[in-house]
Amino acid sequence: MTVLILLIVAGGTVACGFLVAFVWAVRSGQFDDTRTPAVRILLDGQHADASANERVHSIG
Amino acid sequence: MDLAAIDSYPTLTTTLCRHCNEPCRTGSIACDTGNFCCAGCEAVFTVLHRAGLDAFYTCDVQPGTSQQLASGRDALRFSALDDAAVVDRLVTFSRPDMARVTFSVPSIHCSSCIWLLEQLWRFDDGIIRSEVDLFRRTIRVDFRPHATTLRRIAERLAAIGYEPSISPEDATRTTASARRRLHLQLGVAGFAFGNIMLFSIPRYANGAPLDPTFQHLFDALNLLFATPVLLFSAAPYFQTAWEALRRRSMAIEVPVAIGLGALYLRSVLDIGTGRGEGFLDSFSGLVFFLLCGRLVQHKVFDSIAFDRTYRSFLPLSVRVQRGDDFALAPLDRVTRGDTIEVRPGEVVPADAELLDRPGRVDYAFVTGEQVPVAVERGETVRAGGRAMGDVLRLRLLTDVCHSHLASLWNNPIFAKPKSRWLTAIAVSFGTWFTIGATGLAVAGGAAWWPDGSASLNVATAVLIIACPCALTLSAPMTLGAAAGFLAKRGLYLKDPAVVFDLSRIDTIAFDKTGTLTATDAQQTIERGGLSRESWRLAQALAACSTHPVSRVIASGFDSVAAGQAETARVSEVIEKPGAGIFGWVNGLPVAIGVPGFMATRAADAVADHDDRTFVRVGAERGWVRVFGAVRPGVEAAAQMLASSHSIWLLSGDHEGERCRWLSVFGPRMRFRQTPHDKLAFITAAKDAGHHVLMVGDGLNDSGALAAADVGITVSDDTACIVPACDAVVAGNRVADLPVFVRYAKRARAVVFLCFLVSVLYNAAGLTLALKGALTPLASAVLMPLSSLTIVGLSWSAMHWSARRMLKS
Repeated sequence: MTVLILLIVAGGTVACGFLVAFVWAVRSGQFDDTRTPAVRILLDGQHADASANERVHSIG
Repeated sequence: MDLAAIDSYPTLTTTLCRHCNEPCRTGSIACDTGNFCCAGCEAVFTVLHRAGLDAFYTCDVQPGTSQQLASGRDALRFSALDDAAVVDRLVTFSRPDMARVTFSVPSIHCSSCIWLLEQLWRFDDGIIRSEVDLFRRTIRVDFRPHATTLRRIAERLAAIGYEPSISPEDATRTTASARRRLHLQLGVAGFAFGNIMLFSIPRYANGAPLDPTFQHLFDALNLLFATPVLLFSAAPYFQTAWEALRRRSMAIEVPVAIGLGALYLRSVLDIGTGRGEGFLDSFSGLVFFLLCGRLVQHKVFDSIAFDRTYRSFLPLSVRVQRGDDFALAPLDRVTRGDTIEVRPGEVVPADAELLDRPGRVDYAFVTGEQVPVAVERGETVRAGGRAMGDVLRLRLLTDVCHSHLASLWNNPIFAKPKSRWLTAIAVSFGTWFTIGATGLAVAGGAAWWPDGSASLNVATAVLIIACPCALTLSAPMTLGAAAGFLAKRGLYLKDPAVVFDLSRIDTIAFDKTGTLTATDAQQTIERGGLSRESWRLAQALAACSTHPVSRVIASGFDSVAAGQAETARVSEVIEKPGAGIFGWVNGLPVAIGVPGFMATRAADAVADHDDRTFVRVGAERGWVRVFGAVRPGVEAAAQMLASSHSIWLLSGDHEGERCRWLSVFGPRMRFRQTPHDKLAFITAAKDAGHHVLMVGDGLNDSGALAAADVGITVSDDTACIVPACDAVVAGNRVADLPVFVRYAKRARAVVFLCFLVSVLYNAAGLTLALKGALTPLASAVLMPLSSLTIVGLSWSAMHWSARRMLKS
């Protein structure tokens, strides 16, 4: 039955790993906005890495 | 009298605006790129089209918002953003090569908005990136401070139809750190709950204590997991309870804290003395469910933040005379005696004297008057008035904080937070519950007294089971769900608890201008009696007058274009201001005016009929009636509300439209109401024991909105919201008010149903506890079950009611 102890320790370590991951996710702001990224992922062509000549200089 | 010839204008055509998809009315623009309802929409379309961003229109359905209100805005309105003090306040992060600013942009609403706004860098080299928060309607912009300025960013946003709303004071919304903390607390509680369950189920399944090695290990682990729940996750409940007790008041958190404390201590005691495994699974489960309720509350609270004061309506900065020049200065640095310049469309920040050219000031927002007032040199212009037509040069007579406008604001009504009915119930209920539970615990303990251990068992069991967790959940869950569904239908509540107050109102006061009628210049005209040719002559005479009704007649009806009238020859014009105008047109005597004027001028005895203006051309008689466009469905809604509530009209305008509203409000109408009058009316009604709902839009209603049990602001332009209200309703949803009130009543019924269910659970648990039969297993089943029942019941009931009652 002592194998159970091993299992508990292993299980607890994994669970704590997930808790740490969750804490990291919250602290890095992943839960700050849960709506926009879901929409954003469906849109294309908005990366700010485009070259400067794509920029629009005339406005209005 | 011939009533058949009633025209109403503007006529609706089927052409829809290419940008905002709204019908194009009179004054619309047609060009080779398409039809536009206004110049604003056309401008935005052109900017996007030139930038090759036409995909904006295909990303989502109807992404464009109407720019009709935008055309009246001052081109220099963002000039305050050049001021270093203002920049300092708005910029949240600053490095020489990068700065960060977050604007609130109320018109963000769909995926096209995200698509477009996150390509803001295309419009400005200085913008590094921008990120939209769809839920909070904000845009965060990272930019290079040396390459662009806040003002340019704001102007670019406005140019593509996303006017940022910049308030002189920061809106109070839950901060990111508070939100993150709640998520962490919830995560820790959920983690502990799951793991403690895992270590408790073997014991329950076994029916008897496990092998001592495992039992000790499991107990130790449970304690290890439960302690952070007590110290971190449950902390807000202990803090609130402590605060309440220290102020010698009561809160629903007090019995919750007692229950949670009893659960934990009893568990530690049981485990420590080896008597049992304790109730740590129930404990962590309860904290987890309670925090879920709190999260729902935060979500609703967070989606809109509109804590504003009168200062939100004043410009951020004004042009002040310094020496010979006018320089921009923040409002804080302007004092009495300064000479300032106010451009058309700008708001006068403090009571002031007009220095040179006469001008016109629009007080619609402050007093509800629809017609701009002419001001002569030397006359006083009141704070809150909007300059029209010409630049006004003014000398300030008061400081900004001492103006007439601010004096309303200094009323104590704004100083203290509104007392919510739900809070009152929770306080009295909390008191009653705490006394009841502790009393019962003592009694139960006493009944088992000779047996000390059994006595302690029973007493703590009573405290545990009497923890009103399900009760605490029922209000936030139900009202949070209700507020969410209402927001989808255009009624945004500041706090879910407003639903409760809304459910018991018996008196409703409406403002007129901007609330029942739309504020835009679209007016409805009814006319009758004259032939087409005679109208043309009347029109020519009316062109000589500046009276609003004359201006409407002169501007032409849809059947008679304005240009045609100019061919008529007008002579010997006599105008009696406010009464009428008389003159000879093409050799015929023409008179336009009120009955009294008609009697003396045209020797024509006409009965005072409604609020008509009479027209006589030669021997022909006609009439005209002008009103602000009534929002569609509003009359029917008011009539529906009148059957169950007493409804009043409180208007700052003159009595011209009394007859218009007679059938709806009967004698319950008051005109020429100052903001203080409105406030006094509401206070008197409340003192008489009524529960009052105020529906208004202008700053002149803000006192009344703050004093009423529920103050609802009507807003066409979400960028401009009256302070001190409890809720905001979109202009096109005012007619849904009766449904909103009924839905609020339903929400209250659901809350009480949840109360009943949770009390039943508590009663069942209490009988077990008093018998000394509350085992950890019974508690572990009963407590999550009751919480889940409440959550499921409240959400599904509100969802079902929303689908039946609220049509989107």
